[in-house]
Amino acid sequence: METKAPLVAAGVLLVGLVLLALGAVIEPPRPQISQNGESLIALGLTFIIFGVGFFLAWANPTQ
Amino acid sequence: MEESDSGFKYLIGRNAGKSAVISAFIATHVATMAGLWFDGARLPKFDFNNLNGYLVLGLGYGFANPAINFAIGGIIHYTSGIIWGVIFALIFHPAIGRFVKPLRALTPINNYVKGVIWGVVLWIISSAFWMPLLIGPLLGPFLTAPPPSGLGAPCGVGPFLSCFAFYGIQANLTNLLWHTIYGVNLGLLFSPTLVSGSRSTWRSSAGVGVR
Repeated sequence: METKAPLVAAGVLLVGLVLLALGAVIEPPRPQISQNGESLIALGLTFIIFGVGFFLAWANPTQ
Repeated sequence: MEESDSGFKYLIGRNAGKSAVISAFIATHVATMAGLWFDGARLPKFDFNNLNGYLVLGLGYGFANPAINFAIGGIIHYTSGIIWGVIFALIFHPAIGRFVKPLRALTPINNYVKGVIWGVVLWIISSAFWMPLLIGPLLGPFLTAPPPSGLGAPCGVGPFLSCFAFYGIQANLTNLLWHTIYGVNLGLLFSPTLVSGSRSTWRSSAGVGVR
């Protein structure tokens, strides 16, 4: 569990990056908005923040 | 890193209460500022300061006095954020450690996971109750009314925040992003760990109660 957790977090981070990139590509220029594009951007950023936060907790020197 | 005489050490402060208040304030501020910047990432802007202001001052007063609305709403919003953080630290954090065995040990990773779970809980509360039941009836008529009296949006605030004005489900997912930012910061900053050699348990000596 302890060794697999960083791999899972890395996977989540990667999924977040892919979703963010995909959302940014399909999002039309302003002032138009795309429900799918913005949804992917929001989900991608959520996964990225979760993944980055995990590594910050994992690297905590007080552990 | 500060150690207390209770057998625990905290990233901030010497006891659970102080650590919770400061951690929750920082988490609230980071999430609030991020929400105001969401527009730059092509996401719906989340301005909880103004939404709280409209709730207590009313739309008419809020539109006429935007600075006062933002300031009063901000005080209410930050107070709410700190109180939710204290509830997390003193009640949810020890309780989930008791019910979910893998999260029992006080490690930074477990503390972080608890913060993320708390963020998801608050996202559900916000999307299921606060937004549709309080903001919906208040802002919905203005959002959907045709111009010039309203914005002419196709939706007010949908159930479980399934839509908001001109936005669809991305409003709900952006709300998840906002609360994830809050939960991540809270979980990282409120991180009690055992002082080496201590025999204390989180439940028995640092559970519900501010010391």
